[in-house]
Amino acid sequence: MPYKVQPGVIGCAIRPAITGQDRSLEEVQYDTTQQALADAGITIEDIDGIVVACNDQLDGRAISVMMSSGPVGGVDRDILSTPSGSEHAFILGALRVATAQFRTQLVVAWSPTEASSIPEAERLGADPYFHRRLPLDELSAHALQAAALQHTVPGVRDVAARVAAKNRRHGTFAYPDPPLRPQPGPARWPLEAGATTLPVTGCVAMILASPDFIAERGHRDVAWLRGMGWATEASFLGDRDLGTAPALEAAAQQAYGEAGITDPVAQFDVAEITDATGYSELLAYEALGLCGRKDWAARVGDGTFARDGRLPVNLSGGVQTFNPVFCTGLIRLAEIANQVRGHAGAHQHKGAKTGLAHAGSGFAMQYQAAVVFGREQGARA
Amino acid sequence: MSTERVGIIGIGQSKFTARRDDASYPDLVREAVVLALNDAKLDLDDMQAVVYSLSPDAMVGIGNAERSGVDAVGARNKRFLRINTGGATGISSVAAAYYHVASGACDVVLTAGADKVGECGDSQTVLNKIWDPTYERQLPLGTINMLGMSAVRYMQHYGMTEEDMALVTVKNRRQAARNPNAHLRKIVTVEDVMASRYIAWPVKLLDCCPQSSGGGAMVLASEKYIKERKLEAVWITGLAHCSESYWLGDRMGKEPEADHADAFALGRACQRAYKMAGITDPAKQVHVAELYSPFSNTEFHAIDAAEFCKRGESVKLLREGQFELGGRIPVNPSGGTLCTNAIAVTAMIRAAEVALQVWGRAGEHQAKGARVGIASGNGGDHQFFGAIVIEA
Repeated sequence: MPYKVQPGVIGCAIRPAITGQDRSLEEVQYDTTQQALADAGITIEDIDGIVVACNDQLDGRAISVMMSSGPVGGVDRDILSTPSGSEHAFILGALRVATAQFRTQLVVAWSPTEASSIPEAERLGADPYFHRRLPLDELSAHALQAAALQHTVPGVRDVAARVAAKNRRHGTFAYPDPPLRPQPGPARWPLEAGATTLPVTGCVAMILASPDFIAERGHRDVAWLRGMGWATEASFLGDRDLGTAPALEAAAQQAYGEAGITDPVAQFDVAEITDATGYSELLAYEALGLCGRKDWAARVGDGTFARDGRLPVNLSGGVQTFNPVFCTGLIRLAEIANQVRGHAGAHQHKGAKTGLAHAGSGFAMQYQAAVVFGREQGARA
Repeated sequence: MSTERVGIIGIGQSKFTARRDDASYPDLVREAVVLALNDAKLDLDDMQAVVYSLSPDAMVGIGNAERSGVDAVGARNKRFLRINTGGATGISSVAAAYYHVASGACDVVLTAGADKVGECGDSQTVLNKIWDPTYERQLPLGTINMLGMSAVRYMQHYGMTEEDMALVTVKNRRQAARNPNAHLRKIVTVEDVMASRYIAWPVKLLDCCPQSSGGGAMVLASEKYIKERKLEAVWITGLAHCSESYWLGDRMGKEPEADHADAFALGRACQRAYKMAGITDPAKQVHVAELYSPFSNTEFHAIDAAEFCKRGESVKLLREGQFELGGRIPVNPSGGTLCTNAIAVTAMIRAAEVALQVWGRAGEHQAKGARVGIASGNGGDHQFFGAIVIEA
């Protein structure tokens, strides 16, 4: 662990599917922030700094962080914004605590669905000359990734479908009384209808703290940051082999190196992977060292990553259950922090001490992050 | 706090201008990156992480346009994230890069970005979209009338006149004329400013910053890395951010906690940065400042917030020439934001210029003997403020 001090997560609020029209986006941010503070047993007065992540195109505002100053308690506080990805807000918040110059950080991300067309908003993220007119949106990028894998891995279509089904099944345990029923996404060759889940509104908040703050307040249920890695691939899809995930390999190498992970399947008790499609999860298995592609069919078939398997993946139901597009990455981190804290509720994995969270965002997972949380302070996994 | 320092070891900036038809957006980023790496005598492969500096996506017409800059900053399969705090983005990016190093995560980090404000059509059309769509956007608000309202309040509270505002422009244009990278370098007179047309009373055309295109980049490293490689550096000794309310109306009541005339949160950020740097008397201990001031009137409340004088006294002291190059504390010796505003990197350039000043490398606009300086950035609707103290 290279950090000056080891950050720990002491509070989370995960709202992966917000229904109804009775609360404005500002109120959703306020509610989620207050819920995370309450979970940590602190108030906004205890917060030294804030990092938020939001997306101008989805929010329909330029500099969308501006609106959040009030709801997340940013007035008269040090607040920064990482619009590149919700997981990046956690990374920057963790780095700030790790400097020993901040005792606490609040991290918040949200993803609304008021845009008249989310695919249109996503298309604005494609370069204006070559990709935008394809048209390229996130579903198209996932489809291209699926096609790349189908081209190189025989039988992957059925394996990917089983992965997605596994996660949706997990979702029924995590949310026996769901706030809304997940709606299947449209087909986009070679992805069939239902291979993705339609976007929903979501919001997530996490509270990070320094060891001295945690000791002073007597926090017991802490998810200590053991290691984190993050990396990006090239922007131009033509420059990438969409059937591989080299940025995630780099991110995993960073995180595992910090955390002392050498045998991830044996050392992790639980994992959350950004599963926009079953193919996304399979690619992540390989890049994270959980399972190479030649073993995908066997390991998915024998239930290694199912809720009662050796390494349960996506006990929350993952993105296949709820897809608040922009904040799915930070939700994966919060889910694992909660698992390690013993606060995961209906989908708590008994005895989870060490967990892995993966966040992938952008077209065909351009941005990748891997974060390792553990229950014991200072200890390696 | 840790005693190990974070140093600035490389700086790159474009020669800013209204248009750069010869360079695409990523080309501009790369231009600054190459200059910064050459300055640091390092390669892209040496960079362990990149903090990408980009304010509103709409300014370059691409959603999450940082993605298209990944190769320009050499970040493929490396740590990479983007910062956006509006106009403060550049200084927030330097701060984020600082945290990468100060946390121990990295030894050497690149922060870079660019903007093509001069080619975006009309920045005020984009910036109108920063406001609440229901209440404020239709007024219509833009950053010029937003800060015009600040000017009116500053006039009322402290006696600033339109001629005083003109003096700021005259000073900064004179200083920009000595800075080869500045966009507006033509010397103007008070009469020129007073004769220019009103944009949003009392702000006139020559009280306004230009719409600039160009890039900026900086390389930051740990003290250990710098000493082991015997690199030249200047040091970030204090930094902080602070935010105000989103709602302008909350700053313009009878007795608002943060009056729109002033820069309340900039004051807080400066105080916190000074405290971290061990500065107790800024008026005596700070030798040079680059204070983000896109309109002439805002330089006054920035000087007040930096505590170079009592609140409101900056008007009188500026008339006396105390903030000129050669004066007591030169403010914006580069010409500042008033003469160059490529929004995504403008606040980074403030930090870069202070670094060059305390390094003794500012060339024709060098403030003699400067060893300690402060840079600031403002973003949102005069809402996000960042301050960084840099020392030789």
